[in-house]
Amino acid sequence: MFAQFFGSFLLHKGLVTAKDLTQAFEEKKNTRMRLGVLAINAGLMTSEQVEHVNVTQQSVDKRFGDLCVELGYLTDSDVDRLLSEQPTDYLLLGQTLVNSGVMSNADFEAAIIEYKNENSLSNDDISGNQSDKLSKLISGFYHFDTAANARIYTEYTTLLFKDIIRFIGDDFTPLGSSIIHELEAPHIVKQAVTGAYNSITCVAADTAEYMAFAERFAKEEFTEVDDFVDATVGEFMNVNNGLFTVNESNEHGIELQLDPQEIHTDEKIVFENPAFLIPVSFSFGEVNFVISNS
Amino acid sequence: MSLENIKVMIADDSMFARKKLINFISTLGVAEVLEAADGEEAVEKYKANKPNVVFMDIVMPKKTGIEAVKEIVEFDPSAKVIMASSVGTQNHLRDAIMAGAADFIQKPISNDQIQKILENTAKELNK
Repeated sequence: MFAQFFGSFLLHKGLVTAKDLTQAFEEKKNTRMRLGVLAINAGLMTSEQVEHVNVTQQSVDKRFGDLCVELGYLTDSDVDRLLSEQPTDYLLLGQTLVNSGVMSNADFEAAIIEYKNENSLSNDDISGNQSDKLSKLISGFYHFDTAANARIYTEYTTLLFKDIIRFIGDDFTPLGSSIIHELEAPHIVKQAVTGAYNSITCVAADTAEYMAFAERFAKEEFTEVDDFVDATVGEFMNVNNGLFTVNESNEHGIELQLDPQEIHTDEKIVFENPAFLIPVSFSFGEVNFVISNS
Repeated sequence: MSLENIKVMIADDSMFARKKLINFISTLGVAEVLEAADGEEAVEKYKANKPNVVFMDIVMPKKTGIEAVKEIVEFDPSAKVIMASSVGTQNHLRDAIMAGAADFIQKPISNDQIQKILENTAKELNK
């Protein structure tokens, strides 16, 4: 999930466009990591050194890694270690953007250093997908710490993104959140979570995006929004919220229930309490998620 | 394992969940797949058809899955009702078992889980 938030960071900094990211998420499945980006990420080489090796390689018939060792930038064991590590998703994204010429090695180096510093992340944090670091990243990104129930918002949103990756796909970019008091959209699925505390959760989108989201979850194609499409988006929400209640019960001893989902078409929903609007940009368009806790 | 004598019922208010399960189960060659969209319909259809195994959601209108399983087991103590819910908390699990459910599976349900349950049901029938 660090890849999606790294993508959002690059977008926010104006280093890439939404279209660049969409393309990169599609292409990264076929991307092979190169030693230069791995070495920059590990802090073992600067982008200038990588460029120097690239230029040198043009005039000699030697492998990139051998040249790095020969020039004293890396040791043999550095090369072996870097090449044996499983590439993380955000690195594949970075490599794809470098390969396609959207970013230079220097852009990548500056961005990855700033991103890690801003979020107090180490390579181990990211490669291990550490839950606490991920929660911290999400809490900081959405400013949940300003809310009374920061833990609930953070854990709900972390699970939501895991479920989006699991059931919809990883080709998305989280966009900045806002606080809302009402929500109006062509299609809204709402589900209340009740019990030890009460939450209102929603998925909202325009028609094309709503159908595309449902198509991903159902793994079928739809031509119009009908009851089945509504039920499909409703089931995504039900599964996500169900897993959330299981986590709350198992990890915090908090018992919650789910109300049946409500379908709202071309309607406005008013929230009793302020709600976090969490927009997510997919390759097929934008879908909004909402959580309001009391 | 032949499933040709197995009659299955799916009780879930989600049209999506019902269709996905029915589509898969229909490929396994079972005798019949019944569906119910709420707890009340589940009880009525059980009494009328006595399916060999029921997959029952918990959060449903008119009558919850827990209420429905209680009534079904009262009517037929040998009923095999598998709770299939997104809300797999310890409390729900306990309530389901106390109401007479044979098992509890957390959504999303995998096809493998469904197939195993149906094969076990067929084995029990052949005993």
